[in-house]
Amino acid sequence: MSEQVQDNEQGKDFSPEESFQLIKSMISKTKDAVAVDSFYLLFWGWLVFVCCVVEYVLMVCFKYPYHSFVWLTMPLGGIVSAVYSTRQARKRKSTTYIEEALGFLWIAIGMAFFVMVFINVISDAWKTAFTYYILMYGIGTFVSGKLIRFRPLVIGGILNFILAAVSIKFNFANQLLIGALAILISYIIPGHLLRIRHNTKKQ
Amino acid sequence: MFKELDPILHSQLRLAVVSLLIGVKEAEFTFIREKTNATAGNLSVQVQKLKDAGYIEVTKQFKDNYPQTTCKITPKGIEAFEAYVQALQQYLKVGG
Repeated sequence: MSEQVQDNEQGKDFSPEESFQLIKSMISKTKDAVAVDSFYLLFWGWLVFVCCVVEYVLMVCFKYPYHSFVWLTMPLGGIVSAVYSTRQARKRKSTTYIEEALGFLWIAIGMAFFVMVFINVISDAWKTAFTYYILMYGIGTFVSGKLIRFRPLVIGGILNFILAAVSIKFNFANQLLIGALAILISYIIPGHLLRIRHNTKKQ
Repeated sequence: MFKELDPILHSQLRLAVVSLLIGVKEAEFTFIREKTNATAGNLSVQVQKLKDAGYIEVTKQFKDNYPQTTCKITPKGIEAFEAYVQALQQYLKVGG
């Protein structure tokens, strides 16, 4: 920005039109302040995608009994995410309502996953676990996409609702592949597109 | 009848600060300085005036051993801003 906002103590000679222009320009500046970070989408997207595919290979190709051990990477992912978000919070100079809403949304989804994992461990709900996981991915990406007005995320979210319904007809092994597909279209592809958009804006 | 424009808001830098804070939940002093290109001295004086009027809340704390000032608009500030915009609209209707 080249123009400088002067303090006009007398103020009377700055016209209503100028007031409006000033309000408009300041409000548009806060729009750019919404820091949309593709890190979480790409980090969790690739992590879950690889886990789904590896578990499928261990289970179906190698008949390895402890195939579900791949999910032990999730708490590690949680630690990486927490460290990253603390570092980002230190750098942040402003917080928008959208950023706050996004934060609460993903915290709620994180807690829902925690509860679902607990239910899967103590019951045989794991057989249809991916149906509910995909629904969660759908809610998270649909709402996030709407909040930041980014269509690929919205589309990914909607497709996940369909995939969730379809997945119930498949056994656990095939659900892993559907889970990988769901993550690919709702996290990984929109995440990369978001990163591209962010980088082009910077230039 | 024209409504009097709120003298606290009818000042370019103070209006800029309030307009910025309308769009965010809270912002650091340095963020406001960057966006308005104002000098630190001038900005602190105007921020203080807005604070005295009860339009914004100012929190001072330490973050990584550096002092950090965070500003946030108050409900009274939002009300004043809305009244100011309404009054402006009256002026513009007549002018246009």
